[in-house]
Amino acid sequence: MPRDFSQALHLPNLRGDGQPASPEELPRQRNGVTPQMHGRYPDYNVLDEADHWDEATRRLVMKRVEEVPPIRFFTADEAMTLGIFCDLVMAQDREPRIPVLNMVDAKLFAGELDGFVFAGMPDDCETWRRVARGLDASARQHGSKDFVHASAETQCAIIDSFSKGELHGEVWDEMSPKRAWSVVMRAVLSAFYSHPWAWNEIGFGGPAYPRGYARFGIGQRESWEGAPAFEQDPVKDVEPGAKGPIEDLGR
Amino acid sequence: MSLRHNLRTLARGAIRPPENDSAFLLDPHRRAVPTERMARYDDTYPVDMAIVGAGAGGATLAQRLARKGWKVVVLESGPFWDPDVDWVSDEAGSHKLYWTAPRVTGGQDPVELGKNNSGHGVGGSMVHYAGYCPRFHPSDFEVRTRDGVGEDWPISYWDLKAHYERLELELPVAGDRWPWGDPHRYPHTAHPVAGGAELAREGARKLGIEMRVGPVGITNGAFGNRPHCIYRGFCLQGCKVNAKASPLVTHIPDAIEHGAEFRANCMVTRVEIDESSGRVTGVRYVNEGRERFQRADVVVVAGYSIETPRLLLNSTSARFPHGLANQNDQVGRCVMVQGAPQVAGRFPQEMRMYKAPPPEISSEQFYETDPRRGFARGFSIQTVGPLPIEWAQHVQAEGHWGPALREYARDYNHWYTLGILSELLPLPENRVTVTRDFEDEYGLPVARMDYTQCENDRKNIAYAKQTLHDIFDAADAQDVLVIDRYAHLVGGCRMGSDPERSVVRADHRAWEVPNLFIADGSVMPTQGSANPALTIMALSSRLAQLLHEKRIAAEREPLGGARRQKVGSRGS
Repeated sequence: MPRDFSQALHLPNLRGDGQPASPEELPRQRNGVTPQMHGRYPDYNVLDEADHWDEATRRLVMKRVEEVPPIRFFTADEAMTLGIFCDLVMAQDREPRIPVLNMVDAKLFAGELDGFVFAGMPDDCETWRRVARGLDASARQHGSKDFVHASAETQCAIIDSFSKGELHGEVWDEMSPKRAWSVVMRAVLSAFYSHPWAWNEIGFGGPAYPRGYARFGIGQRESWEGAPAFEQDPVKDVEPGAKGPIEDLGR
Repeated sequence: MSLRHNLRTLARGAIRPPENDSAFLLDPHRRAVPTERMARYDDTYPVDMAIVGAGAGGATLAQRLARKGWKVVVLESGPFWDPDVDWVSDEAGSHKLYWTAPRVTGGQDPVELGKNNSGHGVGGSMVHYAGYCPRFHPSDFEVRTRDGVGEDWPISYWDLKAHYERLELELPVAGDRWPWGDPHRYPHTAHPVAGGAELAREGARKLGIEMRVGPVGITNGAFGNRPHCIYRGFCLQGCKVNAKASPLVTHIPDAIEHGAEFRANCMVTRVEIDESSGRVTGVRYVNEGRERFQRADVVVVAGYSIETPRLLLNSTSARFPHGLANQNDQVGRCVMVQGAPQVAGRFPQEMRMYKAPPPEISSEQFYETDPRRGFARGFSIQTVGPLPIEWAQHVQAEGHWGPALREYARDYNHWYTLGILSELLPLPENRVTVTRDFEDEYGLPVARMDYTQCENDRKNIAYAKQTLHDIFDAADAQDVLVIDRYAHLVGGCRMGSDPERSVVRADHRAWEVPNLFIADGSVMPTQGSANPALTIMALSSRLAQLLHEKRIAAEREPLGGARRQKVGSRGS
């Protein structure tokens, strides 16, 4: 059933079960890419505007889209565990995915840290490694071999406890799960929402120098900004071609 | 302001600040500050003043004194920015604007540092502040007397008023006529506001809360070679337009024109002292891996509330075994942040809050103490415009992850956000110390900041958050999301009239060292609920006046003989 975004009935806080409406009810993205192709603004692709951005910004943002950094900081086992973690916390259940873990890895590999460490915590690099071990420890407490082999239900239960700071045992007794959650989520969200595919999904106008924004009244848009769309298009929405760009990246 | 200035202004048809040509010295065809003619002093040349840190405090002081003929070198740990090349319209890509060397944050209510409240590079953290430039209220300078909390300043609002006025012309500040505190007007008219601000203002009006537009240090109209704001919304990532005020465009061009040197990529590691006289002799610093020493008659530390205490605490000597100017264990104490929760409201229409500068409207109606609220002092309300990453963090702060987080983030364009600045009180146990738990790239102990709120602080923040909730309810918001956070940073080396309770005197001179000054936000004994940038600049402007008029005793005793004679007589 088509949705009306002027109503807020798709938002978790306003629904009895605290869960959002399924994104499968949204149109598929028809122009450019969004993560999992959920298309709230199905005909809007912020990358169509890249020629209007200043050179320094364009170079930086296009590199983010075109080059997926290899995993260099994490071990193969850590990357497996944390890859699943990143997929679940960002609800990336299928391609196309924003390569969150690769982006986090690149930052840690380059030593680009955020300038503070909570007292009693190791630095952010070590925190990430410990989180990988901690997820495995928690999975074992649930009777699984490790986090990777745990059921999706168990994985989500562990993450939910992590988000509330309620994990215990082994690594979790050596560092605060609450602080660790804040460290990893800061990095995950910075990676995901720095990616133009996420900007497409949320309808963000993106970089606007040198041309700027001029239409900022209620309900107003620049001529190039995307309109939200409610109706699913029965023909275009089933086209498999939507998968395209991710394959170009060799994933 | 002189008659001559007024006549010149009339003739030009536009207000031009007196004794500051920065906006006119910028190049209209590129954003970088012209440095081709900048003076370069030799390390061995004893400059009149070495300033550590090129932010709001250091750069303003340098400009004022360079104008008066002082030979000033400003040492800045970060780079000299070229906005065209170095800055981007991108949140994640602006990481280098912040102080990202390790620091430890502790206490019961630890403060996130880094991007939240630090700067790195010529221009300091004003390069990425939102742009709000409110004055402090007269009451801020006497909260102990009036409200029985905090500390009285050794100076009053009226000591700063003329400097506020001068700076508002120099930035220049745009906004409505301001009814709160000491009522005043602004040189540039208020900017247009986005739709969300209209809704929020209407909600507030229903509750009897008045919100006004501004005050922001953003040009509203051409100003010298600085263009009009283009409302691109990336104020917090560095203004590529040169429309938003930061010392880089408001004071540094004029300082350079008058002989000041801004030496970038120079990390000051130590202030050196002459053990026999007890006077500082200059600063040791590292540039491109090489250790150097700049001689100076006067040293001014302007590294802000964490690095200033850290530099003093790391500058130990036989005379000052616990750190320079720290014989009374006051360095690093009473560091403050403002409670800065944000509340977002959801509306049926699209708001697209990424457009227009994040600072739009604000209210200081709750600034002063109201005994009926059950706590001392107050808070201000301001709009904020989170970009996607910050918005996602806002959503996550409510405990959402996975599909719920994605759905709220996807709903971005329907939300509008208001923020609070709660005045939190100065507490001696909230302090900056140094620790060897981590070392920076120079092998130095890093700063540790401990922060715990007191009962008054918690009541203030809770009341303020409820007020924002009420505003959004009155505006018929469909849903509301809240994030608890902090903003700004002041105190740590406060000024006072008692050496056992402060680090510097009312004239910014260290109690214990005759030629050491501190000129940044760390000297503030209290913080009000105003953004600190304008007041930091005003304090430096006042300090420059005191130094120029030689109203500070003992600060210019000669170190190196007859050369000193002419210094005071220069300028005019």
